[in-house]
Parts: sequence; C-alpha cells; structure tokens
Amino acid sequence: MKAPAFRSAHLALALALAIALPDPAMAYLKFTARTLRGDIVTLRWTRTPVQWFVTDRAVDGVSASEFQTAIARAFATWEAVPAATIAFQFAGFTAADPFQDDDRSVLGFVNEPELERVLGATGFVIDVVTGDVVESDIFFNSTFDWSTATPGQAGRFDVESTALHEIGHFIGLGHSALGETELRPTGGRRVTASSAVMFPISFGPANLADRDLQPDDIAGISDIYPAPNFRARTGAARGRVTLNGTPIFGAHVVAFNQQTGELIAGFTINDEGEFEIAGLTPGPHVIRVEPLDDADVESFFDDDVELEFRVTLYERLFVAPRGGVGQRFDVQVRPK
Amino acid sequence: MRSARATLAAALFTLWCAPAAAQAPGDRPVHRVEVSVGALWVAGGELGAGTAVLRANQVPQAPFTLFSVDTRVTSSPGFDGRIGFWLTRSLVVEGGFVYAQPAIRTRVSGDVEGAEAIDLEENLDQYFIDASASLLLDRLALWAFVPFVQAGGGYLRQLHEGRTLVESGQVYHVGGGVRRWLRVRDRGFIHALGVRVDGRAYVLRNGFSIADGPRSHGAISGALFVTF
Repeated sequence: MKAPAFRSAHLALALALAIALPDPAMAYLKFTARTLRGDIVTLRWTRTPVQWFVTDRAVDGVSASEFQTAIARAFATWEAVPAATIAFQFAGFTAADPFQDDDRSVLGFVNEPELERVLGATGFVIDVVTGDVVESDIFFNSTFDWSTATPGQAGRFDVESTALHEIGHFIGLGHSALGETELRPTGGRRVTASSAVMFPISFGPANLADRDLQPDDIAGISDIYPAPNFRARTGAARGRVTLNGTPIFGAHVVAFNQQTGELIAGFTINDEGEFEIAGLTPGPHVIRVEPLDDADVESFFDDDVELEFRVTLYERLFVAPRGGVGQRFDVQVRPK
Repeated sequence: MRSARATLAAALFTLWCAPAAAQAPGDRPVHRVEVSVGALWVAGGELGAGTAVLRANQVPQAPFTLFSVDTRVTSSPGFDGRIGFWLTRSLVVEGGFVYAQPAIRTRVSGDVEGAEAIDLEENLDQYFIDASASLLLDRLALWAFVPFVQAGGGYLRQLHEGRTLVESGQVYHVGGGVRRWLRVRDRGFIHALGVRVDGRAYVLRNGFSIADGPRSHGAISGALFVTF
C-alpha cells in the first residue's frame, strides 16, 4: 500500500529555485515571481500556444504513447475553458528528463522513491526581467502505480487526473484549499472531499473525479489568462478578515453561489488581512471563512498562518456585480 | 404655483368631505384619465433550498455536504401607482408602477465544521412596470362597491443591495378588487374621486431566482384614485 499521495508544487519550485517565489497573489492562489526590478508579477505564459514535450519512457502499465494521450487530454481540458485564452501544442517525444534547463517543457516519469508522498511536481524557469515563464517541467513519480485506462484501474493512480492538477501549476495556479481532510493514524492526511482539482492532496487510486475542472479551477485560469469578456461577465469580492480586531494572514475565504452551486475561494494574503476572489458569477453569495487546517500549511504559504479561529459565516449576503468589484466588507472571526 | 397646489388640495378636500354616492354606470367617466396612488403589501415566498457540496473521496462519486442553505424572499410594503384611461364605462386600461423593497434571506445551517446556523440577508429594490386592463362587474355591485377583475404584464427590475447588480425579467398579474366612488362631478378639472382595493397574484419570470421556472407572489393594495 502506498503512502497517501500529496501533489506538491513546492518541491519543484525549490528545484527551479531560481526565481519563482511561492508568494500568493490575490484570489485562489496564483504563483508570483519577483523580477530583477523588484516587481511582483503573476507567473504566466505570454507566448502561446505553449509547446510541451513528453519523455519517451514507459512505466509498468503505461506506455509512452498512452502517457502522451492522457497528458494531451489534460491539456485540452484546461484549454477548453471558455473564459480563458491559453493554448497548448504537443511538440513531440524526447529522451530528456524533466527539470533539465533546456528551454523545453518536458513531462515524464521519474522514479523518486524517497518522495513517498509525492505523485508529481512542477517546476519553472522564469525570465527574471519580465517574469514570464519560459519553461515548465512536470514529473510523475513512477514509484507509484499508474493507469491511463478510461474507466480507471483499481490500485493505480490516474495519469490524466494528476496531469490536470500539475498542469494547473504549469500555467501558474497554486493550491486551492477547497477540501476537507482527516488525519491518518499512520501520519499524513486523507482527503475526505474536495471541490478543486488544485487541492493539494489527491483522491485515492482509481478515482477519476479530478479529470474534470471545478469552478474554483476555472475561475483561477480565467483570472490569469482572461478572455476578453471574462472580467465584464464576472465579479469579484474584496474584503478583510480580522480576529479580535487584528487582521489575520492565511484565512481561507469561500464564496458560495446558491444559484449555480459554485464554490470559489481565496485567501487573506497580506498583513492587512485582505482577500480578493475574482471570477464570481453575478449574484448573492454566502461567504464562509475557515482556518487553513485541511492540508499542510506549507502547501500554500511560507509565512505564519493564523489557524486559531472558528469557521465563520459573514453576516450578510455578498452580491457579486456583473463586472467590477462588489462592496468591500469585513469579516470578524472568533477565536477557538 | 403654491396657490395652484392649494387650490387642488382644497378641491380634493371638498370632494373627500362630500357625501359618498353610489354610482351608476351611466355616471362614470369615459375617455378620461385616472390616477391612483396607494400602498401595497407583497407577500414573500420560498426561492429554493440547496447544499454547498464538495466531491467525496469515493468511487463511484458522491456529494459531500459542506453546509445547507434555504433562501426566501421576505414580505414587504411598497408603493403602488397607476395611470388609467377609461375606454368605456366598464373598461379601463392602466399603466402601473410598483416599488417594494423585500429582502433576500438565506438560512445557512448544518455546517460540517460546526459554524453556527445563521440568517443572511440582502435588500432588493424591486420595480414592476406593467400594463393592464380592468373590467368592472356592475352586476355584482354591492353597497356602492363595484368589483372588477384585471390582468396585465410588464417589466421586472431588481436592484441588489449596494446597487451593484441589476436583474430584469417579466412580471404578469391577474387579480381583482373593488372600487368605491366617493364623489363624482359633471364639471370641473377633477371629475371623480374614490378608493380602490386590489388583490393581485403576480408571476415573476427571470430576475433573481434560485430554482428554474416562474414564481408567484400575492399582493394587496389600497389606493385613492382621481379621475380628471
């Protein structure tokens, strides 16, 4: 039995240490980078279609061709988001491994048995002047058992589901905290439920739920690569979270639209306790603030995160406008 | 201007104080304009219940409830203004304007992490702009109260709290009520004065809603009308 599988981008960020900083930006969690001029910019591709290569290496149960087909489906899923404008192109097979600084974005299997809880990871090479992504590699840990079977396969992790998550990092998204977990007696956490492909902890083997993007994922990619009408059609929530009058960092703020059933979330991301959630369907939303206690905090932030408060519902319905930002509001949470 | 207003007020007062008279159809205005102004009460109603769900970690897939919500629109008082034109002695066509400010109220409960159940609200500025026809039923008149039936439809406009979002749709209504003339004159700028009570069943399409499909609300209004 394999250990619980974590999907971490931070390992890769460490590998690509160069310049990518896991600093959060407004809404969901978008990767940002600090340029040589000191500007903080959202990590994004500026030249599309983004070309990607696949290693020509097979693993038990998955041929190189099957791997490439599953990866292509995952790229196509992100590309199909109507409110976003990024495009991808398969450039061919390669003998190169991921994480070689070769100006090629390579996806492939690598055996990393010491990373016993990491299914895969993503790294970046960034233009330090503009902050543009110039290369991003993804490795899939072949110490796990994998499958590309359409209906899934018992005891094996689904390549397409994991690829969809890692490609989310590839395009600049950090982790979402839209999920619930429980501690395992043997250590680590088991996810009990989630509502974002970008949740850091994977569903179990043979679970194919993460082949489909969720509203939070869609809002994230649309925010980074907005189609011309995205900002005009959707609204944003902006506000602040305080505990005993003091702004708090790292609170998870969830917006729920009863009309659509969409759950889209963000974080308080600065010392002022401020958050912004973009990509909301216009209309009233329930705002729920919770501590970031359903995954390792390090999956999200390097800074100290406030966890000692109760789940709190904002006392009014928040109305997301059609275009623009709704009325700014404060949520006062209470200590545990 | 001030004296004109005073004259009008005095005229209305005189009419109001004059003894009420039962009115025969033959006394009624025709090809005249009527203005009615009053207050109404629009009943609230359920908009829909639901759940905020995550995807449970199981095969086959199943929902995992984060919390439950139940949303309704509250009852509210409002303003009812109508301008009518007497086509015949029994048929009036009207243009109406209704304003009310109900609240959208959502009950959140059953939070999986124990958040306290709470009622959340936002205020809605709601406007109906409609056209309708009223037919008086003289054969059913009783003690100078003349019943009527009416039907109409028009435009629905809802402005969410903070004036950040407008939603629009259609509004239809059927209903009826009674009129009571207080005074009728053959001459003069003001031809008649009376009161009316309307009961209406509104059907709203589009605008703010949770569930698909139209939703209905009852309303009752009382108004003073003046025929010129």
